[in-house]
This record gives sequence, C-alpha cells and structure tokens, in this order.
Amino acid sequence: MRGDAATAIVIGASSGLGRALAEELARKGHSLLLVASDRRDLDALGASLEVAHGIATRALALDLGREADPGARIAAALDGLSPVKALLLPIGQSREDDDLSLDAAGIGQLLAVNLHAPLAIVHALLPRLVGARGTIVLFGSVAAIRGRGRNVVYASTKRALVSLYESLRQRYRPRELRVQMYELGFMATNLTYGMKLPLPAADPRAIARIVVGRLDGGSSRRYLPRWWAFVALLVRCLPWPLYRRMKS
Amino acid sequence: MTSAARDDGRGFALGEADLSSFDRQYRARCRVQRPDRYRLLEALPRDVPRIARGSGISYVAASFGAGAVSQSLAAFNRILAFDERDGRLCVEAGARIGDVQRFALSRGWYLAVAPGHPAATIGGCIAADVHGKNPARDGTFRAVVEHLELLTADGTSRVASTAENPDLFAATFAGFGLTGIVTRAVLRLARPPASLVVRRVPVSNLAEGARALREASNAPVLYGWHDGRARHFGRGVIRVGLASDAADPRSFDVPPAAHDLPARIDPLPFALWNRAGIGLSNTLLGARWRRPGQSPLPLAAALFPLNDARTYFAGFGNAGMAEAQWLVPHARFDDFAGALAEHVARESPRIALIASKLFAGEPDGFAFDGVGIALAIQIPAPAESRQRAFLEALAGIAIAHGGRANLIKESTLDGATARRAITGFDAARERLAAFNPDGLHGSELARRLAL
Repeated sequence: MRGDAATAIVIGASSGLGRALAEELARKGHSLLLVASDRRDLDALGASLEVAHGIATRALALDLGREADPGARIAAALDGLSPVKALLLPIGQSREDDDLSLDAAGIGQLLAVNLHAPLAIVHALLPRLVGARGTIVLFGSVAAIRGRGRNVVYASTKRALVSLYESLRQRYRPRELRVQMYELGFMATNLTYGMKLPLPAADPRAIARIVVGRLDGGSSRRYLPRWWAFVALLVRCLPWPLYRRMKS
Repeated sequence: MTSAARDDGRGFALGEADLSSFDRQYRARCRVQRPDRYRLLEALPRDVPRIARGSGISYVAASFGAGAVSQSLAAFNRILAFDERDGRLCVEAGARIGDVQRFALSRGWYLAVAPGHPAATIGGCIAADVHGKNPARDGTFRAVVEHLELLTADGTSRVASTAENPDLFAATFAGFGLTGIVTRAVLRLARPPASLVVRRVPVSNLAEGARALREASNAPVLYGWHDGRARHFGRGVIRVGLASDAADPRSFDVPPAAHDLPARIDPLPFALWNRAGIGLSNTLLGARWRRPGQSPLPLAAALFPLNDARTYFAGFGNAGMAEAQWLVPHARFDDFAGALAEHVARESPRIALIASKLFAGEPDGFAFDGVGIALAIQIPAPAESRQRAFLEALAGIAIAHGGRANLIKESTLDGATARRAITGFDAARERLAAFNPDGLHGSELARRLAL
C-alpha cells in the first residue's frame, strides 16, 4: 500500500465529479480522505480504490446540510494520515424550486451546503494546507455567470465562492498556497441525466483528469470545458433588455 | 410518478431512452434511472414497477419494458475486496465480466464461468445464470457465487447464500431480476491454466459432434461450431481447449477494455447474412476450422470469443436476429438431430450459426441446465414468415425430444411454448412470485412469458 503518499481530501466524493476526482487522485497514488453523506457509498468507493490502486483511504460520512462545524470533523478525521496537500470541494446542491419561491429553511439548506460548508472547511484546514504549500480547489458554476430567475440561491453561493477564491489569493502568495477555481459547465452526471441541455455535457472523468493534472500548477480561475469562457462572454455581453427576455 | 419523483429535487437521475434487446426483436421507449449512489437506487416511490439493468445486452428484453423503470447499475461497477490467497472477490453487480477477468488475471486468477460478451455484468450473469466455456465441467454461474446481496421487493437489503436465505439465493439465479436488484456478490475465482491449446475435431453431423463433446467432458474449453445449411447440416468442428503445462506469458495478455465488444452494435445498413453471405462465411470458416490438429489458444481469445464478432452481429442488419437454445437429453439427442436435419433439408431456413455445448448439471427453476447436449441456433430476420416457422418447428421438435429452452436467449418464444419447454415451469414461477408478490419487479420478458 502506498501509505506515505500525500493526502488529498475530496468533499462530495461519492458521485459525479467528486467520484471522478477521487478515482483520478487514487490513480496518481494520493492517499484520500473521502467525505460524503452516505457511508455505504464511501465505503464502496474507498474499498475499490484501495483494491485497484493500493492507496490508503479513509471515509467520513457527513451531512453538510446539518453539520455545524464540518471543518472540525474533517480535521479530526485526518489524524494518522500523511500530510494534506490538496483540498477539493466539488460540492453543490441545487433544487428545482430555487426560483425565488424558497422558504427560509430551503434557503438555509442551500447556503449550508454550497457556502457555509466550503467556508468552514477551508478555514479549518488552512493552517495545514499553507504549511504544506498545498492546493485548494473550488468549483463554481456557469449558472453564476449572470443572475437568472432560476437557481437563485445556488448561483448566489457560487458567486460567493469567487469572492472566497479572491480572498485566498489576496492573502496567500502562490508559493504559500495554490488556489484554483473552476467554473464548471454542464456535466454528464446524475444531476443532468434526463434533462434537455442546450449545450453538450462534459464527461466528469475528463474534467477530473484536467483538475488533478493541474494540482501542482499555479493559482488560477478558469472555465471547464474551456469553451464555456466564450459562452460566458457572450452571455455577459448581451444587452440587458435582451437578456431579460431570455427564458430563465 | 415523474413529477412526484422529481419533487425530491434534481439528481433523481430519471430520464427516458429508446431501448432494444440485443437481438433487435423488441424495442421500447422506457424510463431509465441512472443512480450513482445507494440511496438513489432505493429512492423510487414504493409502488413504481422496476427492473435492474446491467449493460442491456440480453438477447431478450429482460431489463426493460412492461412499464417498468429500468434501474441502471452502471455506476455500481466496483471491485470491493479481493483475497489473493483464496481467490474470493467481492464486486458490485454492475461490474462487467471483461473488467473482472482483467483484474483477476492480472493477479493470477480467473472467473471460470463467464459468458462470451465482456460487457455482461455480474448482476446480469446472476439473473440469467449464464454458462461459460464448458458447463459440463464448471456448471453455471451459480457455481461461482458464494453469496449475494439484493434489494428485495419489500425495500430491504438481504444477503443470500446456500446457508442464508437459500430459497432466495436459488430463485435469484435465472430469476431474470424478478427477485430484486442484486447489488453485490462474492465470487469464487479459480486458477487459470498456464496456457491452452485447442484441438480441432472435425465432425460430419450433429450426432457425431455430440459424441466428440462427451469424450472431452473435462476440457476447460469445449464447444462445437456447425454449418446450418441444408446440404451440409451439422458438419463442423468440436473445439477442445486443453490445459497445457507449458507456460506462455502471452496467454494472460487480455486486451484493454477499449477492445471489448460494445454493448450496443449498430447494424449495417444491409443484411450480410442472406443465403450467399451465409454460404460464403460457412465455407471459409469450415476451411479454416475443420482442419484436424491443434494450435495454441490465448486465454483472452477463449474468454472473450465475441470480441471478434462485431461484424457478425452488425451483419444481421436492421431486421436483427434470433437465437434459440435447446438442451436435449443425451438419450434422445441423435433422434432430435436427425429430425432437425430432415426439417432443415425440407424447409431450408437461413441459419447463420449453430453452436453445441455439453451440459451435466441439475436444472433448478428456469435455469438452462441439465444433462445433455445444447444447441444454440442463430438465424437472421426472425420476423420473416419462413424464419419464424423454423423457430416454431425447432421448438416443437426439441420439446418432442425432451428439450429444455433457454428463456433468456429466445425472444420469440411465447408463454405457452415456454411452459412446455421447462419442466416444473409453474413451480419455478411460484417460487419467483413469492419474492415478487406485487409484481414490483417486471420486464417485457416477464410479461411475455407470464412470469
């Protein structure tokens, strides 16, 4: 078992991009702390990665929508693992009814998962990551390119993560901490399965290969797939009267 | 249901898809769920009909249809544990045979009972109780499963083995997914032979082929190929794969997954397997294979014979194909083969391929097992009246000679014929129904055969 490899933490590891990232990191030999809400999925994923790649894994079942201090729980779960070099946060919860009709509880749930959890986890793990010149990887969404009548809270939280990205970069130099943010376009996951999408959905495994391949690169913020930068530019350039008429 | 289900929010992973049986004889627009977490697998409302779906390569519509939501196990494809000392492998039900064999062979083990299509999933192999390269020696898939876990109709997850829930365990093999959703299984692997050589035994008819099969019953690989044309009916070769002590390092070189036969094969825009195409193909194959002698047989070629059959399957064109598999007791096989030869000589159906295998097991439930010789007969364009009539005649001849049908192979078999083709049909049906009392798990196969 390659137990001495640097540890990477994947939040939301059980499905979609999170699972693809965990698999790619395991392929590269990282030890892994896998965090998601259902222990059955984590145990299956961890076991399969240990068998296939001979890495060390640890699973932490955590409901980010209910956990008051997820950062502390994750930090405690790191005891005995090799030093943390990377924290990846491919998490995000969205709802069909996030269209300015949510009640306070619904808003709070989305804020807890999409914003409070990343903030709390980053805060709790910063000392370890800075000490190891590690990498924090945040994931935004093209839903936040421009506010719409749908995905209201979701997009707000993703926009807020951009601010977190900027804060981290303003505070730490790249030689102290790498901060990378990816604004993700549509991906072929269970979130989009069965939906009619206006643009192609990317394979999460392809996205994961890019993200993991760049972990040792510099701090940056970019769209994935890259062509979404062009789409974002077009959307931002649309005159407001025209944008308002678009279907939300 | 859809709107109610979607109230749970995005990520329910429910969509619609046009699905087709591998033989292209049944197609339907179906609701498909693609869960990637266990709780999504359990998330369908309690009263929604459902059926597990692996790679969707069943010749019949076993994983869709009849208004059921097809629950794809594609994301549950992980190898969970492996004991290198005793060869026990714990695997999720969506894992593909090709991937399991690649994993096992790289560690000096292999799965002795496996179908020829590498995309077949472990769950599918259990649901169909498939056979492998020599069922007379190795049995059917149930022989390599130590225990399994499945989500049953009452919503609970159960472990089943010969010691725990033995009735559920027995009913799940050749239970066609109707006892629940198999989620994982522990398999018993075997040590592969150091290398294989294949001995070719030319035969002039099916009865002679049956004798050659019986004489080689303990070979790790054993099957026959036969010409189905009227003038040469039954002429062919028995391929006897024998273990060799001569270590051949290339024997375990299994091609990567990219070389696997895909689950979906687009048909050619025209049918290759008309009389001229079948004649040319059989003549060439006969010239190549019917030479007596022996030659090295790479294990990969033995395990995944269908990897080279992409053009063969595409060549059936849009009209597709049908396969009939009948297992006839030894005592009546020669008469059966003679009657079949007479019928073929009289009616001259188009037969693309006949394969023969030796069986020596005990049939349980709907399992395709017994003591005798099995023939797999593939024909093009089964919707054509002459072709359809041949399948019906074949069923009649086989039943008259004590034949047992493989229900997971033949999509044209009706319920009444199936009843006559399976001894103990009603008892097997009742056993399945006990684990599926409200018909929660259903499919087109189950509807057609009134299972």
